[in-house]
Amino acid sequence: MTAPLTGIRVLDLTMVWAGPMGTRLLGDYGAEVIKIEGPKQWDLLRGLGRMPRTEERWYNKAAYFNHNNRNKYSTILDLQTNRGRELFLKLVSISDVLVENYRADVMQKLQLGYEEIKAVNPKIIYLSMPGHGKTGPESGYVTYGTNVEQLAGLVSISGYENGEPTKTGFSYGDPMSGTAAPAAVALGLRQLRLTGSGVFIDMAQRENLTCLVGEYLVDYSMNNILRNPIGNRNNQFAPHNCYPSGGENCWVTIACETNAQFAKLCTIMEQPDLATDPRFETIEARKKNEDLLDEIIKTWSLKHGHYETMHNLQRAGIPSGAVLTIPEIMSDPQMRSRNAWAEHSHPDAGTWEMETPPWLLSRTPGSVRLPAPGYAEHNEYVFADLLGLSDTEIAALHEEGVTALSPDIKSHT
Amino acid sequence: MQPLSGIKVLELGNFVSAPYCGKLFAGYGAEVIKIEPPDGDISRTHGPFKNNQPDPETSALFMYLNTGKRSVTLDLQTVTDHNNLIELIKKSDVLIENYRPNDAKALGIDYETLKVINPKLVVISITAYGQKGPYANYYSNNLIAFAMSGQMFITGTEEGGPLKNGGYQADYQGGLNAFSAGMLAVLATERDGVGQHVDISVQHCMGPILEAGIPFYSYMGLWAPERRGNLMSSIMGVYPCIDGQIGIHVMARNWPPFARAVGHEEWIQDERYSTAEARMENSDELMAEIIQWSTNITKKEAHQAGGENRAPITYIHDMADLLESPQLKERGFLREIEHPVAGKATYPGPPWWMGPDNWTDNPAPLLGANTKEILEGLVR
Repeated sequence: MTAPLTGIRVLDLTMVWAGPMGTRLLGDYGAEVIKIEGPKQWDLLRGLGRMPRTEERWYNKAAYFNHNNRNKYSTILDLQTNRGRELFLKLVSISDVLVENYRADVMQKLQLGYEEIKAVNPKIIYLSMPGHGKTGPESGYVTYGTNVEQLAGLVSISGYENGEPTKTGFSYGDPMSGTAAPAAVALGLRQLRLTGSGVFIDMAQRENLTCLVGEYLVDYSMNNILRNPIGNRNNQFAPHNCYPSGGENCWVTIACETNAQFAKLCTIMEQPDLATDPRFETIEARKKNEDLLDEIIKTWSLKHGHYETMHNLQRAGIPSGAVLTIPEIMSDPQMRSRNAWAEHSHPDAGTWEMETPPWLLSRTPGSVRLPAPGYAEHNEYVFADLLGLSDTEIAALHEEGVTALSPDIKSHT
Repeated sequence: MQPLSGIKVLELGNFVSAPYCGKLFAGYGAEVIKIEPPDGDISRTHGPFKNNQPDPETSALFMYLNTGKRSVTLDLQTVTDHNNLIELIKKSDVLIENYRPNDAKALGIDYETLKVINPKLVVISITAYGQKGPYANYYSNNLIAFAMSGQMFITGTEEGGPLKNGGYQADYQGGLNAFSAGMLAVLATERDGVGQHVDISVQHCMGPILEAGIPFYSYMGLWAPERRGNLMSSIMGVYPCIDGQIGIHVMARNWPPFARAVGHEEWIQDERYSTAEARMENSDELMAEIIQWSTNITKKEAHQAGGENRAPITYIHDMADLLESPQLKERGFLREIEHPVAGKATYPGPPWWMGPDNWTDNPAPLLGANTKEILEGLVR
């Protein structure tokens, strides 16, 4: 079976999370991804692995880096040198896709903007993923993951009921951009198929995320009302919340969308009369008396385990889910049955489990073919096999500092 | 010509996930027919509505998620409409659905049935847990998905308990993942001439993306059952300001620009803060100093100071801020769309820009608006 992107070569000038996750997904589904780092400018994640600096090649053992960069090659090229830029443009001429997520002005400064790249390869799909986009008065502003959700409007509607706006517990904007990247590249490849020309794609990460709260923008523009956070509740239904379970810091979610589901919940709680109690009999009544109802459910939920409640309620057709911790997600039976985690080996880092390609394509599945590359691991493949440089020419690259085999640690600590 | 010109999509989607996927197909140029039950997609009954008056045509949620589509109502319990559906399937390239696997089977739209009707069809199924496995037919919604993915455990505060974030983010994540996966399948089908089934589990998409949570736990056993609210540390979090809140996210390399932006250039040399370790060690002290700065500045002043100094500082934008954003305005991201019943409103434009003519802005269809025209066009 040939993967969807087999035969597509991607030049990867991304670092940290959003970009690397996007290009990793391209690699998962068959593309050849060449990650380019500099002798003095590596992917910051290599340094954020919480690895003791006394470990040999500690920068190849950063788990955060290794999860987001599997299925890629690594080559080292200083794009600020003429020779480095020249070799990069040669790679452009034999590649299909370029992905970068630098701040908006960096590629222009390197003279590697779309016009320069297009002149070398008019069929290239050039995907830029800056925080604010390539144009506009704020394009030069620096943004990281947690800023993206603040700019997007999401934080303003997130939080406990009538509480202050609250951030997501992780840099949510990054994986949403990473997830969107394969779609953007695929659209570019299809446009190339239709028109014979490549395309420039400008993914402003804040705009991509505003699209995930679009109904709030439409609402505000029509009604001129800002909506407050509503926590884990729902505007229409009750009960719809997160309740404490037995055990420390254990929680379960329950959502009843119909009267029938609520009646079954009352039966399971051994309080069947609640279903016909006028305070709770209808959706409107339950919504009105939601605080009281939540207290009743909490008293019951504390006596049961979170998974126990979930399975009991699901068997009766009531939406419910345990609030899983990281260890629990990794051992969850459903995730296991989907092979969401798989053991793999890395020459420096050893053997452990990482997430598998998330989307199951029945005829052309994704795969984990390569562990994340060590720093400079594929210099030989890129310089000798792809660019056809001689040993003497490659030695010259090292002498001139255009490439390297190990990072300049001083510039990375 | 748009990137998806010539692609015919059938959407049997309810609420958010499948409709968002269908919206993206339509926006980039595919012809999308939305099949609705006679009483409509359930998002038509969810608000917020125009002037807060419930009306199946003026739900902001429905109008936003269904731009650029045509609507056909079919009662799939009847033989006639079931046959109509089969004829539509024969003429389509992609089918998007988000039914529980058992319900899809009962409706006769499970992949085994569909591939016989149209072997070239790409079928995109979005479910809470995937097509198989012990929970495959468990009931879910946005809240439940947040719980089962781990995104909820790490959001909120210790005292407040696990918190989902705003809107329907789990459902949107399902729709966005489905669009990326579906597009890869479309490329493969156009290359090979054979369709396939794309199985999206929302839990599987959401679970692995908890920042470094999974890598650190899986590789090194590092994990702490924590929820750190709005302040992950002194230099990553949300601070109060005069007229709202400010967000900062300072990596090691941003320390000098940050110190300049907050008017404390001396912090660059100050040994209490000059290294990442020192900032961690003196986190409480630093936090107090940052609060001192933040509570004496407006959100727009802080945003501008961040921008001018290239420091990662912004403010919490609410919907009014988005509508007034000079950045979004200049980029043409805000699109005004006139809907025949609800009138004018502002919608987000393309999630990523691919050229001036590559995104379509058309209003969402009225319930069943295209039933007659499309069913009459079916050649028997």
